[in-house]
Amino acid sequence: MAQMLVKLNVNGIEREVLVDPDDRLLDVLRDEFGYKSVKEGCGTGDCGLCTVLMDGKPVLSCVIPAFQAKNHKITTLEGLNNDPLMKKIQEQFRAHQAAQCGFCTPAMEIIGWHLLSRKKGASKQEIKEAISGTLCRCTGYYDIIDAIYDAGRPE
Amino acid sequence: MNAQTAEEFLMEIQKKAERGELLYIGKELRRIDDLEKVLGSPIYTNDLIPRNTLYARLVLSRYPHAIIKNISVSKALNYPGVRYVLTYKDVPGLNESSTIIPDRPLFAFNKVRSTGDIVAAVIAEKPNRAQEAKELVEVEYEPLKPVFDPIEAMKPDAPKIHDDGNIVKHVKVRKGDIEKGFQEADYIIENTFRTQHQDAAPMETETAFAVPRGEKILIIGSMQTPHHVQAAVAKVLGWPIDRVEVIQAVTGGAFGPKSDEPPYDVASIAALGAIKTGKPVLMSMTREESMIAHTKRHPAIITHKTGVKANGKLTASKVQIVLDGGAYASLGVLVIVRATFHANGPYEIPNVWNDGYKVYTNNTYTGSFRGFGAPQAIFAAESQMDEIAKKLNMDPLDLRLINMLRPGSRTSTGQLMDESCGLPECLDAVVKASDYRKKKELYSKQDGKIRRGIGIAMLHHGNALGPEGNDYAYVHLSVEKNGKVHLGTGLTEFGTGAISGLAQIAASVLGVPIDYFTIDRPNTLIHHETGPTVASRVIAIGGNAARDAALKLKQKLLPVASKLINCKVEDVQIVDGYVYCKGKEHKTISWEELVKEAYEANIELNTLGYYMAPSCKWDEETGLGSPYNQYTFGAAIAEVEVDTETGLYKVLNYYVAFDVGRAINPKSVRGQIYGGTVQGLGYAMMEELVHKEGYVVNPNLKDYYIPTSLDIPEQIQTIIIEKQGSMGPFGAKIVAEPPVVLPAPAIRNAIMDAIGKGINSLPITSEKVYKAIKS
Repeated sequence: MAQMLVKLNVNGIEREVLVDPDDRLLDVLRDEFGYKSVKEGCGTGDCGLCTVLMDGKPVLSCVIPAFQAKNHKITTLEGLNNDPLMKKIQEQFRAHQAAQCGFCTPAMEIIGWHLLSRKKGASKQEIKEAISGTLCRCTGYYDIIDAIYDAGRPE
Repeated sequence: MNAQTAEEFLMEIQKKAERGELLYIGKELRRIDDLEKVLGSPIYTNDLIPRNTLYARLVLSRYPHAIIKNISVSKALNYPGVRYVLTYKDVPGLNESSTIIPDRPLFAFNKVRSTGDIVAAVIAEKPNRAQEAKELVEVEYEPLKPVFDPIEAMKPDAPKIHDDGNIVKHVKVRKGDIEKGFQEADYIIENTFRTQHQDAAPMETETAFAVPRGEKILIIGSMQTPHHVQAAVAKVLGWPIDRVEVIQAVTGGAFGPKSDEPPYDVASIAALGAIKTGKPVLMSMTREESMIAHTKRHPAIITHKTGVKANGKLTASKVQIVLDGGAYASLGVLVIVRATFHANGPYEIPNVWNDGYKVYTNNTYTGSFRGFGAPQAIFAAESQMDEIAKKLNMDPLDLRLINMLRPGSRTSTGQLMDESCGLPECLDAVVKASDYRKKKELYSKQDGKIRRGIGIAMLHHGNALGPEGNDYAYVHLSVEKNGKVHLGTGLTEFGTGAISGLAQIAASVLGVPIDYFTIDRPNTLIHHETGPTVASRVIAIGGNAARDAALKLKQKLLPVASKLINCKVEDVQIVDGYVYCKGKEHKTISWEELVKEAYEANIELNTLGYYMAPSCKWDEETGLGSPYNQYTFGAAIAEVEVDTETGLYKVLNYYVAFDVGRAINPKSVRGQIYGGTVQGLGYAMMEELVHKEGYVVNPNLKDYYIPTSLDIPEQIQTIIIEKQGSMGPFGAKIVAEPPVVLPAPAIRNAIMDAIGKGINSLPITSEKVYKAIKS
């Protein structure tokens, strides 16, 4: 299989990486860039744990070939860890014990961030809808919804 | 002490001192291991692999039952990127991957017994190459006659799956005189209930990697029981166990299968691969591999025959439970014990006759999963209660009030309930919270196509291992010179927060804030073998060990403090990180100063806490006795709304109360109740891993539905009742498993209230509701 050199922009860093045509964006983010917050829960686009932002919108990195990410800006949780809104979300996840096993946490936080950055003070119903494509098997979602909700409220 | 006067400080310290050992008990403290999780730090198994790691993929059996004539790996070996193909021929030690009964080979060799059997593992430079090369492993099979129905499999002429018969385990309860009990009854009610395969679906699949280190091997993986994995790998390699080092990485959910045999498989395959190739090997199950090859919740066929007097008093209960064990015994031989002991529900019944069978079939194997036999048993028992109430034309609540366990009652095994039986309080709490009586009345007058219903379910849940093994734990505490406390144990964290709870208990006994604590990663080279992290037993059993370790540490520190602050040993107080002499609160020193002094005095601040639960006594033949040291109790009420034209329904409200003895951290307790309830809601409403002729039809998260955020009720109202138990620290009981049990019967009974007909098989899909309405 012919490998190709692709220039990717991840968390503001541009880098050329050599990829196979069937390399998934998920693996390149994890293995080449070292962004391990991006998780694989199913590999078939069903669980949402590999969610990253592409040009600011949530996408599933397990079903996107890496080469298709060229000319797009990719953001993972690592790229948002210093963002004030993300810090607030993370603080609320801790306060609500919304991270139990923690495996879905990065995806939930990214989706929460995406929602709240567009709509401060999102309702619980809006939060439920936003995270409905991302599975959690530990929390039953309540503490996650409360954490995002509280992060969106004025202090 | 910002802006706080000395007087205020003294008052605060005195108030805290009054709480004494309970200072941090019952407090909603944060978890101490969550920072890395919210930051997305590399802490899980697959995040930690070295750069030159190879990847393994499983070749699973193509038939549910067949003889293996030949396995040829040469084509797969020649595929680009492939480094090795493992089969049974590569196992230097025992080709076995079993927990209790040695019936399951790591690699199938003479025959396959299910489509989850592992025949080979392909190891390649990239996962994709391993996946592609799987198809090139040539296996010649000669199919055998399979059997999939456990009732059929019990018959003497059924195809034999192993050398002996297909009944792996038969558990009995024989109490009173069952025939007399039926004679005394005014009514006899008989029903059969069926439950399905449920997949635990932890968001992280089973995974481990192995790194060869000369004479030794290092394994890092996702698991509940590192010491058991260590022993299993050593057996496969034919090595002494001290050459195998196992570290539990942060584990992305577990729920039971990760205490059963699947972690042995991934660790052993990674280890064999690493030894054969000389490189690190990651064996991380794909979701499909996991859903086919790991253990699931047993489907059950449960028949109830109950005798009841016209006044509602139960006189006899005869229950038969048949669990579809799939092809292997696994921890299922213990699951059937718990199922059979809880089969009659939380009621006092004078005459009981239970038979529980775990049966081999050619379905994929079943084993440990949150609740461990209780979800099946209680679904049947609590559905039966509502069928009885219907027969008697009695409110299901009243039938329960007449028969439920109270202090002074005896269980089906004859165990006496002491004052810690909080079942009446649980039931009362949910009845009040839901306004049950009023709604029951209101809903009985409905007509129209949208109808509401309200249903109850209750449980008792024997705590910790009981008949499932020796219930012991070690917890190690060591204090650094700077005052930091390390908590180490072979017990594992996989999301419940229980290990933070151990720190909370140790902190309370020591009098030091939880911020001083760090939790060391469980490592078989460092930590004592401490039994499995199962049966929700970390707090109830491990908590006593943590308390013991902290007490021993305190014993070492008190004399040092006594000298340092010139105070009698018995008057030394350590409260919230401050050390002072009773009555001289104004002269405090810090925890750090005390620790420093201990170091200078050459006192070793290192203690090992140990706890072994009192042994449980019951009769093997009759089941009579006290199989568990204490019980958790719970009650739930579900309210549903059914569209009688389509069968579509939703759960509007869910009220649930648990008697947890003592909530060490109420926030964590509620987290377990929420999570367990929603997993139980999935079991009740939508989850079914469908087997067709031995093949799993939906081994993916697209066709196997687990609840999403849009499937949950508006709110779950949780009520915590605290009737202290005799075993756990500060009276704590177990909590992580029971919440998964109640939704299925509560929802089933609520639907029956709404439509007048009971649905006796899980999951209760809208299709089943529709058919019930139309029948």
